[in-house]
Amino acid sequence: MSHDTHDAVPAVSTEVPGPHTRRLKLLTVVATFGGLLFGYDTGVINGALPYMTDDLGLTPATEGIVTSSLLLGAALGAFLGGRISDRRGRRTMILWLAVLFAVGTLVCTFAPGVGVMVFGRVVLGLAVGGASVTVIAYLSEVSPAERRGRLVTQNELMIVSGQLLAFVCNAVIGGIWGEAGGVWRWMLVIATLPAVALWIGMLAMPESPRWLASRGRFGEALAVLQQVRDAKRAEAELAEVRALAEEDRAAQTAGWRDLAVPWIRRIVVVGLAIAVMQQITGVNSIMYYGTQILTESGFDRNGALIANIANGVISVVATFVGIWLLGRVPRRPMLIAGQIGTFCALLLVGVFSLVLPEGVGRASVVLALTVTFLAFQQGAISPVTWLMLSEIFPLKLRGLGMGVCGLMLWIVNFLVGLLFPILVAGIGISATFFLFAGLGVCAMLVAKAIVPETKGRTLEQLEREFKQAGAPAEVAR
Amino acid sequence: MTVVVAVPDSPEGRTALSAAIDEARRRETDLVVLNLALDPLDVIGMPSDLPITVRERTGHADLADCVLAALDEYEGKVDLLVIGMKRRTPIGKALLGSLSQRLLLEADVPVLAVKR
Repeated sequence: MSHDTHDAVPAVSTEVPGPHTRRLKLLTVVATFGGLLFGYDTGVINGALPYMTDDLGLTPATEGIVTSSLLLGAALGAFLGGRISDRRGRRTMILWLAVLFAVGTLVCTFAPGVGVMVFGRVVLGLAVGGASVTVIAYLSEVSPAERRGRLVTQNELMIVSGQLLAFVCNAVIGGIWGEAGGVWRWMLVIATLPAVALWIGMLAMPESPRWLASRGRFGEALAVLQQVRDAKRAEAELAEVRALAEEDRAAQTAGWRDLAVPWIRRIVVVGLAIAVMQQITGVNSIMYYGTQILTESGFDRNGALIANIANGVISVVATFVGIWLLGRVPRRPMLIAGQIGTFCALLLVGVFSLVLPEGVGRASVVLALTVTFLAFQQGAISPVTWLMLSEIFPLKLRGLGMGVCGLMLWIVNFLVGLLFPILVAGIGISATFFLFAGLGVCAMLVAKAIVPETKGRTLEQLEREFKQAGAPAEVAR
Repeated sequence: MTVVVAVPDSPEGRTALSAAIDEARRRETDLVVLNLALDPLDVIGMPSDLPITVRERTGHADLADCVLAALDEYEGKVDLLVIGMKRRTPIGKALLGSLSQRLLLEADVPVLAVKR
């Protein structure tokens, strides 16, 4: 389903099922625990925050800081993660990330006050950001070429599943022990379990063959390939792995200086716009503050915790639908349809928060609207974002382009997480949603103006388009 | 012997390339084109009467380092390095530094700097 030329390596031979198939499946499950942890740690704050606010005496500003400090750490983790895993290896990196996940979780769990909590959240963020780049790299490097396209979206699915798991755990723990003090600590500490599972699982998993090949360790690379491919294919694929290691080096060619070239700059600007558009809808205000939004609308605390599960369920379902849609409809209309859907939902949340009296009626309407919002966001905008970011950059620009856009995603995510509680306290919930709706209109106009169609088109065609757009007539080379 | 030309992705790069083609013809040498752009060089329109080698840039390296490394590789065989020059604003210079300046100062072969 991916049109990424990066993946368009001709299959060496068809895969014959055998013991290696099971091994590969196990490996995929273990590594995607990284994605699950990513989702759990970002989602758990949603239900934990109301209890934490009472216990630690949080203000809207410190609520924002506790939530968003993770994202600041994640930006840094994503930035450093790629470099460190290039140097030390994917497996080693994931093992360390599992430790970091566990340590960060424990620091947050036993945090006596805001300071330690923020520190723990930053540590968790480092792990989340590092996992976001390393797990995808690891999975795409151990999987056969024809399955690589699916893996990125599979990881995305694990992230929303992790968020759903967090919402369910929050509701169960809140429902049973809600009256006991410090119940949020129990919600947080559960995240150590998948971290331990990731660590133990990865101990038994091999290093990425492509990374080994890029370090010139071809013997070890072949040994790994023999574990995860059938015997005939392993030998043939070593050559391919070498070629891909070369290609990875080529992907790191571009530097800051290349941004002086107008058409390169145009592609990077479009990439940045796509990244901003995905976050500016305010999706993460719902993923992080959903329970609070529902409480403010009129549910009691336990009701809100349970109702919030609907937000998690729809995210998982919509991600499935989104992946299915990507193979069938063009990207641009899908993105713009998603933006129209999220805009309408945001606008209506604002309107109904204004006209309906606080109570179960209003809360139910708001819940229906956040679910609608998430259906369009996770079913259209997010999948298009992930795929487009992997499609628009020419090979030699890919390293720089993806790095810069990833950083942008985290920064906007951070700002939304930080400012949402402050905005709600300052201008009220309906005005906050009107603000997001307004930003949504801007995003829609930008998408219409500059986002190219990438489905079914080669990178060369895209490049030509970027070169012609607004370029002064120049002598052809 | 060889004429080497540095071709960044800019009008100056194309000016340098056509000047280098003329030089190589005049000196009856072959031509090594260092493509500093991120996309492959368009070979259509390049003369077929000259032995031309195109070298692509790979790996994360500074453009000037890239050219200097290529010069080292062809050591003793390079007649001339051709580069393009352009007028730059002080701000542009402060931000990016100058490729031509570094090459003029650091290349140990004769350099032909072409203005548009």
